[in-house]
Amino acid sequence: MTVLRNGRRNLFQVGAAVLALMLAVLGPGSGAALAAEELRIALVAPLSGRWARQGQLKKMGAEMAIEEINAQGGIRALGGARIVLREADAGDTVEKAVSAAQRVLGREKISAGIGAWLSSFTLGVTEVAERLQVPWFTLSYADSITERGFKYTFQTSPVGGLQAAQALDLFLSLAKSHRTEVRKAAIVGDNTAASVFFFKPLREKLLRDKGIDLVADEIWTPPLADATPVVQKIRSTRPDVMFFSATALPDSIQVLQKMKEFGVRLPIMGNGVWLLMPETVRAVGRELIEGVMSSVGAHPLKGQDALVDRFKKRTGEPFMVQDALMAYVHVWVIKEAAELAKSTDPRAIREAVTRLDLTSGPAAAALVPGRIRYDERGRRVGATTIIVQWQDGEPFTVAPAEFATRKPLWQAAR
Amino acid sequence: MPLSELVQYVVTGLLVGGVYALMSIGLALIFGVMRVVNFAQGDFMMLGMYVTYFLATGYGVDPLAGALLIVPPFFVLGVLVHRVLLARVTGGGDPQREMDAQLILTLGLSLIITNATTMILSPMPRGIQTAYATRAFVVGPILMNQARSYAFLMAVLLALLVYGFLTRTDLGKALRAAADEPEAAEYQGISVRAMHGLAFGIGIALVAAAGGLLATYHPIEPTVAVNFIVLMFVAVVLGGLGSIPGAFAGGLLIGLVQSLTLLVVPFQLQNVGVFVAFLLVLYLRPHGLLGQRLRAV
Amino acid sequence: MADRRTTSSLRRLVPVAVVVLVGFVLAGVLQERYHQRILTLVLVWATMGLAWNVISGYAGQISFGHQAFFGIGAYATVLLTVHAGLTPWVGMWVGVAVAVLAAVLIGVPTFRLAGIYFALATLAYPLILRIVMDFLGYQELAIPMVRDHPARHMQFADPRAYTVLCLAVFAGTLGLSDWLESSRLGYSLRALKENEQAAEATGVDTFRSKMLAYMLSAAPAALIGAVYAYAVLFVVTPDAVFGVLVIVQTLVVCLVGGAGSKWGPPIGAALMVPISETLDATLGDRFPGIQGVVYGAALVLIMLCAPEWLYWRIRGMVMARRGERTEPAVVSGPSPARVPSGAVSRGDAPAGALLEVRGVSKAFLGLHALEDVSFVVKRGEILGIIGPNGAGKTTLFNVLNGFLIPQRGEVRYKGERVSGLPPHAICRRGVGRTFQVVRTFPHLSVLENVMVGAFVRAPAPPAARAGALEALAFVGLRHRAGATAGGLTTLELRLMELARCLATGPDLVLLDEPLAGLSRDGVNVLVRLVRILREGGVTVVIIEHTMQAVVRLVDRLVVLDHGRRIAEGAPDEVIRDPAVIEAYLGKRWLRYAEDRRA
Repeated sequence: MTVLRNGRRNLFQVGAAVLALMLAVLGPGSGAALAAEELRIALVAPLSGRWARQGQLKKMGAEMAIEEINAQGGIRALGGARIVLREADAGDTVEKAVSAAQRVLGREKISAGIGAWLSSFTLGVTEVAERLQVPWFTLSYADSITERGFKYTFQTSPVGGLQAAQALDLFLSLAKSHRTEVRKAAIVGDNTAASVFFFKPLREKLLRDKGIDLVADEIWTPPLADATPVVQKIRSTRPDVMFFSATALPDSIQVLQKMKEFGVRLPIMGNGVWLLMPETVRAVGRELIEGVMSSVGAHPLKGQDALVDRFKKRTGEPFMVQDALMAYVHVWVIKEAAELAKSTDPRAIREAVTRLDLTSGPAAAALVPGRIRYDERGRRVGATTIIVQWQDGEPFTVAPAEFATRKPLWQAAR
Repeated sequence: MPLSELVQYVVTGLLVGGVYALMSIGLALIFGVMRVVNFAQGDFMMLGMYVTYFLATGYGVDPLAGALLIVPPFFVLGVLVHRVLLARVTGGGDPQREMDAQLILTLGLSLIITNATTMILSPMPRGIQTAYATRAFVVGPILMNQARSYAFLMAVLLALLVYGFLTRTDLGKALRAAADEPEAAEYQGISVRAMHGLAFGIGIALVAAAGGLLATYHPIEPTVAVNFIVLMFVAVVLGGLGSIPGAFAGGLLIGLVQSLTLLVVPFQLQNVGVFVAFLLVLYLRPHGLLGQRLRAV
Repeated sequence: MADRRTTSSLRRLVPVAVVVLVGFVLAGVLQERYHQRILTLVLVWATMGLAWNVISGYAGQISFGHQAFFGIGAYATVLLTVHAGLTPWVGMWVGVAVAVLAAVLIGVPTFRLAGIYFALATLAYPLILRIVMDFLGYQELAIPMVRDHPARHMQFADPRAYTVLCLAVFAGTLGLSDWLESSRLGYSLRALKENEQAAEATGVDTFRSKMLAYMLSAAPAALIGAVYAYAVLFVVTPDAVFGVLVIVQTLVVCLVGGAGSKWGPPIGAALMVPISETLDATLGDRFPGIQGVVYGAALVLIMLCAPEWLYWRIRGMVMARRGERTEPAVVSGPSPARVPSGAVSRGDAPAGALLEVRGVSKAFLGLHALEDVSFVVKRGEILGIIGPNGAGKTTLFNVLNGFLIPQRGEVRYKGERVSGLPPHAICRRGVGRTFQVVRTFPHLSVLENVMVGAFVRAPAPPAARAGALEALAFVGLRHRAGATAGGLTTLELRLMELARCLATGPDLVLLDEPLAGLSRDGVNVLVRLVRILREGGVTVVIIEHTMQAVVRLVDRLVVLDHGRRIAEGAPDEVIRDPAVIEAYLGKRWLRYAEDRRA
């Protein structure tokens, strides 16, 4: 048996050091300082692993809001209490996400939380928040998040089922204004939870109600090996619109590339922020993405130019998307709730959120319909889907019309 | 179904399989010579993609050329990784425990590479825009994506080179001797340790080149390997562990099965088709398609 | 490996009890919820590691797909809760049943594969299950929160309850492992891990043993999977329970801690889970991603410092400090001239044919290794089989003990057709064998090696131990009982293999070149043993090259050449048979033989 000569001593030393470190870090009372008046917000999001990009965007948005609030003098009702952000890395598994929530909520008093981006993470994390009675804000779309009777969970985006109906209506009115009849539709995408929430109502009810035939229903389990069969099906069935939701960037890019290769063009109505990322246009080029639409819970609206400019300057990002914007909104909502509650106590803040009715301020201005209230289930009242379209290499809000920053372009099928 | 459509399915499958094949022969070589299950193989592919990307965006090197350019540096990297890490847990001990040690070692390596890349290069996906990614060669009714066609040809070329090296050159023969009969090889003055380093270097260089070819049409991110590593292992086992032609055939077969399986099962179950084919092959030929019986216990 | 006396079977449970007690005290002491969660996770992964260890550590069948059972347990339990309102306290046992059934369905085809092929084939099953779960629309199954009587639905406000629950499953799995280590099945598994063919030839039904181990390994995996869903996740996704990270974590705790011992996985989990969480809590939240780098580096470092796993490393150090007590390796030769009680013909009619070989043919790739070979082994005789290299002698033994199935012809033992039976079944009917190149179980002690054989007649470990000691005493190796088989001399190995064969209680022993490589003294020792055996009523068939010894020893000879039987009869006649001389012995031998007669 070959053994390093002084391996034994090394091993003991390493072991002792590791043990000492763990005791130091995990020992009771670490960081439980009774700080001066400040309001702590937890951000649980994937900051490492395969979804780290989305977590970073959330962090950018939250940090920007906090800086603005603190610069304005903090929370007035609490004597100018400052807001601080406590991030915890949700990593790439549900286990790590729930651990992160447990960790950040257990270590010190947290007044409210944001996260955790992927709906399965959110389902686990809100369970922890519910047990510890800390109000939790999420942009996740899954209907199930607010179907469990939780009292501390607030869902700001329109839920998946609602988004499908609203996206279809908005698209049909757009088609009508271009005097195009929509008779055939295709559903193309993966079978991750986010896509399923969007597709299921379309497939089972919505399209039929509008008298639209579903001529292609191409769902894959990611990763997509090759988009040829998908695009072949589109080419042979000639739908008038393609509902598209591929949560992995390589998959969505493959479909777009293959459509160009096969010479297929038609209106694309996507779902989620996947199609709207800066890296999407960088990977496929402007030409391929031009005219592609996606429905999301939030996107910069008319009159938010100053906000977007500040964001771009701070972060170097070419534009602002839902993840950053929603985190920004959530911090502001928590701030307003704290003003109302006059307390940093999470239970008091939760109670204030249920009474909250914001019609002005940065948060209300960022969301359609310009007003923020939550119902008894924790869903935002009147939450409306936003349609975003790529124009000249940048995604713009094109519907609802009164909030749009650009007019929609019509991409005829051919 | 018209015949042309069937042919299209076959062609598509083979083109997809070509890059799988190239990814897999590197892994097959490493396993065949060293009996190491290298969990970090996919991460070296990811690094290959990034280097090709930076060559393309920084110096305007076409990724097809970039994929070849990165072969020498990655060979050196592979040899170094072997010398500094793997060689220290090989040799002289209990083979089972050595294999386990290497397993965990490469697992640790994989974690280091993925996370360090995420931190240094940011998790943001990147892509090389190539004209040929969205063009096709048109042969009658059949469309052949240009990027995938080039990648396929390069894969065949590189695989042939490796095969020629292993069967025609003295060094290649020494490598095979070290793989088949390590003790006898030592008696003949072949350093098995050096041969292991050589195999690891070539294996890493090949998978990096495969990454470079993949980068012509596939976006690049630090975790890109997770989508391919399992298929690589499947290809290597399908072909018969350690067999280079076997791994190549295994890669092609996976592409074909992925494509043709769509004729019988729903799209969502595409990879179930691959895994079922994989299990079937193993049940019928317990040592893979072209594999030889591992030495008896 | 240290042997423990049966009387101390209760005492050996003491460390298990202590570990469980420590877990219990920790559960009570830890105040913060996050610390409770870490403890819960340690227990979860230790249990999952122990489950994996049963099939992959003890039995050596590396499974890269063990999360299949983990996931089945989780999904079955949660689906039953969501769709049928069944409490997880019942549902988890349904999950266990489904997982055990799955183990059978997976095991039957997959155990045909050996080594790394088995390992990589198992990889496919959880991947398939994962895709199927997505296909069925179970991407996210949130566990409904119950507000009335939550404890009835495995939901607790107090996190300590989860810890205790995991501790209970852990304790059960640790107990199972402990029982396995000293049971007949445990010996069979360790034997087949070391050398599957030798295990079969020693009467171990390797397929059945592997199947049992697989089922015993699937059950705790499913149970802890179900508990994991309720105590750790709160929501089940295919990725979270069937994903690659599950098996990666399992491999890490087992291979860092040490596979093949019940202490390895708990050590690995107790070390790696807190390291990982500490990194997440300190570096990870501040510099996301760095925790992965450091954790990866920790794995690399541990493997560089202790490539043979922590448990075995630590054990080795402790042993070295104590100073291994090895007795001098003096071979005294067979002390009591008494055949071990197992190996005595079980009182049936003495005269006549014990074994009949009728027209046996076996070809490999068209090459005839055996062609139409027939002969008879008479009860109580010593029959020698000789022939030049490649004559088919060892192939013949492989047919006789069931490793090979003849293409034509048959083998009858005590009137029963045995060709076609698996080796362990032939062994259990009373045919023992040794190998040309000794096949031991190198990491087992001499006593344990022999015990594997003794289990054929004595299913209970104490009786097997007694039988094994008796067989060791017979061959004169009792003083080496505690030594590890890997460190024996050639003679000791031959003697141990003979003892292992005799411990199975054979009426017929097949000895494949038992004298090869032995000194003159060694040859004498063995020859004496064979004689004593025959006097004790055991029939012996012996392949040998060492001519003098054979002629002195055997009653009759069978000569093989190119797979054919070319002569059979008393040694004196056979060695003067012209065909034999031409084929094998050469003229010089004839002269020697005649000189000797004169």
